[in-house]
Amino acid sequence: MSEFAKRLHQLSERLSYLRDIFPGKHEEELALLQTRLDEAQAAAENASGEESGAGLEALEDLFFFIECKLEDKLTPMDKVRIVRHPQRICLRDILENVYDNYTEIGGQDEHTIDPAMLIARAYITRKRGGQVYHQPVLVIGHEKGHGEEFRNGGSAKPWGNAKAKHYMGVAETEGIPIHAYVFTPGGYPLEEYPGAAQQIARNIYEMAGLTVPIIAVFSEGGSGGAEAVSLADRRLMLSHGYYSVISPEGAAAIEGRLRNGERASAELVERCAENLHLTAEDNLKFGYIDKIIQEPVLGARPYHYEFFRTLRQEVLRATDEVVLRARGFAPLRAAALHRLHDRELNLDEFYVRWDLSRAARQRLVEMRQNKFIKASHSVCKNNRSVAGRLGDAWSEQWWEIYNRLIYDFYHRNRRTIRNLFEELGSEWDMFKMRLLRTWKRQEAQELAAEEELTSLSEWSEDERGWAWVSEKAREDRAVTCPYAARRGCMDMWAFDLYNEFAGVCSSCGHHFPMEYQWVMNNCFDKDSLYEFNTEVESGNPLRFPGFDEKLAAARKKTGLKSACITFEARLEGIQVVVAILAGSFRGGSVGVAEGAKFVAAADRARRKRCPFIVYCHGTAGIRIQEGTHGVIQMPRCTVAVRRYIEAGGLYLVLYDTKSYGGPVASFLGCAFYQFAIRSSSIGFAGPGVIKNTTGIDVPPNHHNCYHALSRGHIQGVWDRRDVRANLCQAIETMGGRNLYYR
Amino acid sequence: MNIQQHKVLIANRGEIAVRILRACRKLGLDFVCVYTAEDVCSGHVALARELGGESGLYRISSYHDANELLSVADDAGATAVHPGYGFFAEDFRFARRVEERGRKLVFIGPSWRVIRELGDKINTKRLARSLGVPTVPGSDRPIYDEMEAEKVARSLFDYQSQQGIARPVVLVKASAGGGGMGIEEVHDLDLFRQVYRRIRNYAMRQFKDDGVLIEQRIMDFNHLEVQILSDRRGRHPVHFGTRNCSIQSTGRQKRLEVAPGFDPSSVEYRFDAAALLDEIVQHSLKMARKVGYDSVGTWEWVVTRDGQPFLMEVNTRIQVENGVSAAISRVKGQPVDLIAEQIRTALGEPLGYSQSDITFRGVGVEYRLIAEDPDSGFAPWVGDIDRFDWTDAEWLSLHTHVPPVTADAPYTIPTEFDPNLALAIVWGKDLEEAGARGLDFLGHLRLEGHDGRGEPLRSNVEFLKNKTGQMLRF
Repeated sequence: MSEFAKRLHQLSERLSYLRDIFPGKHEEELALLQTRLDEAQAAAENASGEESGAGLEALEDLFFFIECKLEDKLTPMDKVRIVRHPQRICLRDILENVYDNYTEIGGQDEHTIDPAMLIARAYITRKRGGQVYHQPVLVIGHEKGHGEEFRNGGSAKPWGNAKAKHYMGVAETEGIPIHAYVFTPGGYPLEEYPGAAQQIARNIYEMAGLTVPIIAVFSEGGSGGAEAVSLADRRLMLSHGYYSVISPEGAAAIEGRLRNGERASAELVERCAENLHLTAEDNLKFGYIDKIIQEPVLGARPYHYEFFRTLRQEVLRATDEVVLRARGFAPLRAAALHRLHDRELNLDEFYVRWDLSRAARQRLVEMRQNKFIKASHSVCKNNRSVAGRLGDAWSEQWWEIYNRLIYDFYHRNRRTIRNLFEELGSEWDMFKMRLLRTWKRQEAQELAAEEELTSLSEWSEDERGWAWVSEKAREDRAVTCPYAARRGCMDMWAFDLYNEFAGVCSSCGHHFPMEYQWVMNNCFDKDSLYEFNTEVESGNPLRFPGFDEKLAAARKKTGLKSACITFEARLEGIQVVVAILAGSFRGGSVGVAEGAKFVAAADRARRKRCPFIVYCHGTAGIRIQEGTHGVIQMPRCTVAVRRYIEAGGLYLVLYDTKSYGGPVASFLGCAFYQFAIRSSSIGFAGPGVIKNTTGIDVPPNHHNCYHALSRGHIQGVWDRRDVRANLCQAIETMGGRNLYYR
Repeated sequence: MNIQQHKVLIANRGEIAVRILRACRKLGLDFVCVYTAEDVCSGHVALARELGGESGLYRISSYHDANELLSVADDAGATAVHPGYGFFAEDFRFARRVEERGRKLVFIGPSWRVIRELGDKINTKRLARSLGVPTVPGSDRPIYDEMEAEKVARSLFDYQSQQGIARPVVLVKASAGGGGMGIEEVHDLDLFRQVYRRIRNYAMRQFKDDGVLIEQRIMDFNHLEVQILSDRRGRHPVHFGTRNCSIQSTGRQKRLEVAPGFDPSSVEYRFDAAALLDEIVQHSLKMARKVGYDSVGTWEWVVTRDGQPFLMEVNTRIQVENGVSAAISRVKGQPVDLIAEQIRTALGEPLGYSQSDITFRGVGVEYRLIAEDPDSGFAPWVGDIDRFDWTDAEWLSLHTHVPPVTADAPYTIPTEFDPNLALAIVWGKDLEEAGARGLDFLGHLRLEGHDGRGEPLRSNVEFLKNKTGQMLRF
């Protein structure tokens, strides 16, 4: 093919790309380009050489002009379409062009456990003076490919994430930085071995404490799947990428209340994309990414070689910055950072050592944790007065000091002495027993046996029944167990069922859903509840249309200000901090307010050295109307949890009714001690979503708690009536060493 | 509300339904009767049809279904429910539901709180001990700790050897168990731990509760009962004497009951029987007053050969053998019907007499006529009855739900329920006369039938004849 024909072909490719990105939009411009292109083709057949070449150049200029014009008019949905286009750059292109060489580890092409997750050991060569340095990095990312079927569109399966987690560990051992590329529309929502939510939670938990620099580059960041590899020190984002809680189509399906795979109208999808604020600029404004990498006009495609140079410079700069920030020696670090802001500097000719000392690693993790804890802090609606906040800050400090004194100093030493005395005491008992054996035997026989046998064990006229009884018990009706046909259960009277039976079918043990107040009021010591952080309120940070009314309705219905209730209570005299996700408030979805309350509760439990119990009464996932503000709660709360667990506490999660989505895939799912009340369901995505995204019909027990138990997600299934006893046993027998009562 | 305006739903079948029907009729109350498909030919249906016509009869699918019974009550406009015995008689949830639902009914029986308090054997035992009523030695609450369990077992063995018992035995039971499941005997303290662990693990598996009860095993005892009646105020319960229900089948089902409990005038005991009967009656009345007992009920006792009484449990219902207590009792010189008294007091009438108005005379014997095979472990016999005749006498009263049968119109025993046929109550002025009249009755009884394979009917008549001589003895 001649040079001329090639250029002509390229132009027609560009035109079809435009048509793909703007379906049914900008028809005039596209028609113009089409006629010009047809003319040029006709001309090329007739004439040849110089003049048609000149005509072609003019046509190319026209193409470029119109592309620039359309670039200015890009809507968020257009960007989503750009990102999804098969011609978009993929991770393989980046590996080929940004890094100097790489070895794919953890599989090759389709010969791997999950082709959607690509792990490579790559290196970057830098020169300073005559010296050549090879700097190794671990590249982790989703591989979308250019339309290959087996890549599954970059949607990583749970075992793909498990693979990523494994190699993160390798990178930590070797001490090399991680570059994570996020090219995923979302995690693959199947509950297998392991389950999707379970594995994503493990990944986030792992990354929250990983002691090597992590740089994440977002192109397509779809909710949970993206979070599985993106809890990073620096988050870069390609200018045409998106980072969102849910795909615009998914949001439209929820907004439009569509069921059974109906399709939302293009208009609604467009509007939802706009309302979700998912573009790079929006996310930079919110502070959830640190920098935007400018792409070529209408998105980067594999032949934009100049762009790969930029990308290389940016990831180098980010890695250097992170490393230098963590370094101990402040003056040098500041100077180096200052120089790095100079755009003219070619980072290939500059050298920063990427390995870190032990102290620097700790500092790195701490900085990363602080970064996420502080994220979304400013959007949180907290009505607490200034004086109240000051008081809170003061009491927090006071607990810290008090607990240091009492538990770290006093108790530790006291324990040593007490242990010594216990040892001595049992020695003495043994000695006494031997000495007095004969005499004891006589004494025992003389003991009046009858007295003891007929005396009364402590008899109290204790109040029977539950302290809190559901409203549902007041109805005079019979309730049928859903399993009556299969297991032959008798109908129960609502009064008995919701009062005395605690919502448990008396013949088959099926647990009917109960209100969150049941556990709140029946499982902790009487009158020991003290609610804190009551002023935090769910808001509408994205000004999502129509959401204010919905929030007001939820507030009125439940009397709550947010779906999260945090309080301190006592269990058999032991002080515990409890967070409840109430399923009745907007389906228990997690947004900024819930995240803030959760983080504050974890912090409080850490400072007071109490067990931290989370009762997930039900959650539908991340609140989509809060967009990325909601998604960021996943890493944020997980970081808080990791801090708490590493401080030596007991973090225990108890699921009830239905728990799905982001919270389960992060701060709930990462707990070492997770239990479920019987007849609850736990999973990543509900059956409807699975059907829509993967086309698989899951069996009805797919999310059942027993299924989750056999998957290893949860550690046990509890009867609702035993929750109190089991919690008491748990706080006595589980958890770390730093609990105050230990 | 005058009690005559009440309408009683009879939520039971068979013999007790017949007796409740009669009692209602005697008191002038309207009633509603229910029956299932298996019971179409039963005598209680025929009697209800005869007395009340078709309108008071409802066909239901199961006597166990509370929803159906209550919708019948609403439909028929009933204002009270009599549960009889069995089915819902001791179900405090049913009693509570009846009393607290939207359309309230009167539960003819104790209030649900009393049923709950006394329905739990462990609770009853603790309550009894708190009043100084003797109970079976052992723990009065579930024990969860091995050391503690062993301590209790050791003191039980010591206690029994102090009492001069040659082979002391301790019972280990799962506290959540019942019906003979999870019970074992221990003869030797050294084996106790093994047995304890086995029972505890069994209980944990079966009942999800590893609490264990440890009690002395009482050997060689008589089973006595005290019949109590009280009105709704519950202040002044009266008793209708004692009964001796020691003659039982192998499955510990009563077959022959005698009132009074002991008869020192014709049988010799090792202890002062009259004083003992008085003691258990007084203990029972004390407990009834304490809980505010407000209906008929039975306090069950075991009495050892040495004359030691232990309270076993309380039955918060009318019992099968209530007739035998009524047979020996006179209120102000008049015969008494305990079922009618129960209905009357439950609907709010005061008792109207006190203990001093109740007099006792003679001996009553109740025979339970059951289609069963005493030779093969009292297995129920099922088939058709074509002859059931007896000679009437003024000292005999016989309650049955079997309709009059001939060879052409036999009665088929339903397989769904127990094969109880009739209760015969015989009265005599002393034990000897009562025994002789009992044998006379059994001798003239003609009970014949066959099952589908041509096998003749089997019943416990011979068994009852044999046992008549052993009444009131150890």
